[in-house]
Amino acid sequence: MTGLSDKRESIWAISSRTVVFGAVGAALYAVLGLFSFPIPGTQNVTVRPAIALVPFFGIRFGVVAGFFTGFLGNTLIDIIQGYGLTYWNWSVANGLVGAIAALLWALLPRFGNDAVRLVAAGLTAVVANAIGLLFVITDMPIQGISFSTFLTVNYAPALLANSIAMIILVPALDAIWEPLARRTGR
Amino acid sequence: MDVTPRYLGAGSFLSRRDPRVLLLVPVLYLVAVAGVDDLRGVLACAVFALAYYRAAEIPWRGVRANWAFMITFVSLLVLVNTVLTDAETRSGGETLFTVPLTGTDVTPGTLSYALTLLVRYVSLAMVSFPVAFNIAPSDLGVAFARLGLSHRLAYGVDLTFRFLPSTVASLRGTIDAQRVRGFEHSRSRDPVRRLLSLRPVIIPVTVNALLDAEDTANAMDLRGFGTAKRRTWMRELAFDRTDYLIIAIFSLLAAVMTTAKITGLTGTVWVPFT
Repeated sequence: MTGLSDKRESIWAISSRTVVFGAVGAALYAVLGLFSFPIPGTQNVTVRPAIALVPFFGIRFGVVAGFFTGFLGNTLIDIIQGYGLTYWNWSVANGLVGAIAALLWALLPRFGNDAVRLVAAGLTAVVANAIGLLFVITDMPIQGISFSTFLTVNYAPALLANSIAMIILVPALDAIWEPLARRTGR
Repeated sequence: MDVTPRYLGAGSFLSRRDPRVLLLVPVLYLVAVAGVDDLRGVLACAVFALAYYRAAEIPWRGVRANWAFMITFVSLLVLVNTVLTDAETRSGGETLFTVPLTGTDVTPGTLSYALTLLVRYVSLAMVSFPVAFNIAPSDLGVAFARLGLSHRLAYGVDLTFRFLPSTVASLRGTIDAQRVRGFEHSRSRDPVRRLLSLRPVIIPVTVNALLDAEDTANAMDLRGFGTAKRRTWMRELAFDRTDYLIIAIFSLLAAVMTTAKITGLTGTVWVPFT
């Protein structure tokens, strides 16, 4: 049986599905994003499992849904926690992770083997995370921090924490969603 | 678990403004203060931020935890980066003391720059908090649409807020159902084990939400969502004279500070008592 999910629609499409899935992704990210726990032995590195939703929505539903999930989801968390737009650049970085995951996934060939697809999805998420989070370099002019501070305090801890969540949860989500997507004709 | 945005500033001067004003002011303020190293310049900007924040009339009791976290975090960041270590420090004037272990010489210029960063960040929070507490969530979609965002995506913003309560309900239901099956959230210190233990919650909640989303998307398609080039909104937004005045004030502030930056007036650290 040919996977119906192989029939990829444009990754840039803004259809009702893109809007709805983006909105669902953002709401899920906002709600599940309230779960987080620290990595022992580090000072301020917390793993937020819901970050895995961002590249997953990008990979599955395109650039717009991926960006929407990351950007609006993170903004919502900030709004719920009461910080408004103070950390707007982190929201943009989260959005970029979703958008870049979609772009990278579109460049990859279609995978016939499920195991290979899952590994590729996990790695795509990690690479998208590494590229998208670079946007927080804007903390340098905004907060007046140095490059080394950006790297050691902001970027590297977030990269590490997000990558752990993504490498575990993105393949798990994709493995469950793939058969359902085929069944629903997505 | 409460994920409802808190509308704490209802009825205040800022809440009566067009929500686009509350979205534009933080952007203009950021343009004004970014890259300003002179404490006097940042303090001048902070006066505008303080007046703006007071107009939001956000009850202190509702936000003191937010402020406590914000000020603690920023103070630590500034202290470590500019005073205790020389990661991002500035000098100027005679050495007041030398930090033991790191050997960083602390001068009046160092302290002035540290204070500049602290004031910059706290004042940015002052103009950003009203976005969280003075905009009714139902106004965000139309506000973004009127700022030029695609009306489909703007509707997506509205939709996200509508999905929040059902997502929370689904999460609660899933946790209860999994507990009946023996699920218990891991208290292990191993992050991988804790992540794996969350899979029985995250995956069903996500998949259920996606399946429900199919129905919502089909319903929207059946109603012809997105076929019209323009979309009307229940809430009509229009700037009044006060809105224009606020935007003009912050635009002017951004223009003056940008000019000062370009001409080099605020690019150096102000060293007091010299």
